[in-house]
Amino acid sequence: MRIIIIGFGNLGRGICRAFVEKADFLKRAHGLVPRVVAVADEFGAAVDEKGLDLPRLLKIAEGSGTVVGYPGGKRGKLALDLIDEVSADVVFELTPTNIRTGEPGLSHIKRAMQAGKHVITSNKGPLVVAFKELDALAKKQGVEFRYSASVGGAVPVIGLAKKLLSGNEISEIRGVLNGTTNYILTRMSAEGLPQEIIIREAQELGLAEKDPTLDIDGIDTACKVTILANSVLGINAKLSDVKVVGIRRITPEATRLAHEAGQMIKLVGIARRDRLEVGPKLVPQGHPLAVGGTLNAVTFKLDLAGEISITGFGAGPKETSSSLLGDLIDIHRTLGG
Amino acid sequence: MLVKMVMELEDVPGQLLKGLEPIARYGGNIKSIMHQRERKTPLGRLPVMLIFEVRDQATLKRILAALKEAGIRVTQLGEREGEILTTVLLVGHIVHTDIRHTIDQLNAIKGVTVSELNLAVGSMGRESSARMTIAANDRELAQLAISRLQTIAEKKGLLLVTSVEAI
Repeated sequence: MRIIIIGFGNLGRGICRAFVEKADFLKRAHGLVPRVVAVADEFGAAVDEKGLDLPRLLKIAEGSGTVVGYPGGKRGKLALDLIDEVSADVVFELTPTNIRTGEPGLSHIKRAMQAGKHVITSNKGPLVVAFKELDALAKKQGVEFRYSASVGGAVPVIGLAKKLLSGNEISEIRGVLNGTTNYILTRMSAEGLPQEIIIREAQELGLAEKDPTLDIDGIDTACKVTILANSVLGINAKLSDVKVVGIRRITPEATRLAHEAGQMIKLVGIARRDRLEVGPKLVPQGHPLAVGGTLNAVTFKLDLAGEISITGFGAGPKETSSSLLGDLIDIHRTLGG
Repeated sequence: MLVKMVMELEDVPGQLLKGLEPIARYGGNIKSIMHQRERKTPLGRLPVMLIFEVRDQATLKRILAALKEAGIRVTQLGEREGEILTTVLLVGHIVHTDIRHTIDQLNAIKGVTVSELNLAVGSMGRESSARMTIAANDRELAQLAISRLQTIAEKKGLLLVTSVEAI
């Protein structure tokens, strides 16, 4: 399969590393030979229709912060033009999330679909801003559209709901969907430290963004609730439909009082047909959502199966490449590969 | 299960201990004790209302037998009273926004009692935190209490954290 990758940060590099390390496995187990024919970042692009030398590309990108230094690299080349010009089967849209405009991801995805290319993305922005439009466009163009990595990182939330549980009616999805806030709450409870100090340390460890507002104020979780509402529950929901409370006001004393009563405070996202909500909740110890550290956890309420819960890592380039690669293999199979 | 009990004790030293010992012996967890001095009986006995939690009916039976053996008179027993216990957290200026009023508003609902309040006062300039246990006679009343508390919290600018299982 010929692949274009737009955005070459942690996730772009992570999926390329997986292509390199798992080349034998992908061929043997799935008959899949991924060939990355173009990679674009904010500075330009590297193109080779015969397939880029990925170890070399990774080395150059890690050294210089861009793929432009790859032999024949094109400085200033726009991703949009690349999508049109380079023939490929699948476009990975892995640029940073903008929850207000969805850009630049939204334009990339639309252009790829219009060009008849399948799309895989981790980018929440376009999904939150224009889920219905993109879903319709994919159908109209007859292309596959996958976004497993946008919710839950490595945890197969969307795939489980849409494939393996498809015989059920899902009445509710709720989960701990943001690893950063879960890490902060876990440490507040264990160490009794104020939030500011833990946030600073999380930033030093690379577990929190320089501006952690989207995580702390529950917006990131609300984006995921919006995506789940649209993709799994089939509700035409917008981000503004989600009632959001973040964890900013949670004190170390509150986590201690919860602990003394056998409870933990978790930032929980809830998607139901009649209610979309994000807020700090008391979760009993031993409950499926009582996961610590940076873990994510999701529970589905189903008419046949009852409750099903899954847990795992919600972030990290290697972990997320599990979802991205899963989407690629799924498209490969859908197309009869 | 939560038990509400009224026992009549002689108004002499050591009686309360005598009444509590059997409860403690069988693992009962006492939530509140209230002397009802104004209701002293003509014989000079003092009613004491207790709310405590026990594992099950069998344990309660053992406690009642032990109380009888100790000569303690139990005049009222309500096993279903406040059966549903709900724990919530509050964060904000809990004391300054009149905690007494908040509790009174909940206690005003028939069949609902605030049975426990743990307050952690924040350091200077910081918000306080509290854990509140609300006892209600049934699920509907518990929900009513939570939604009333939500309204109060919004008015008073407090953050209410409820259980993930409470819908």
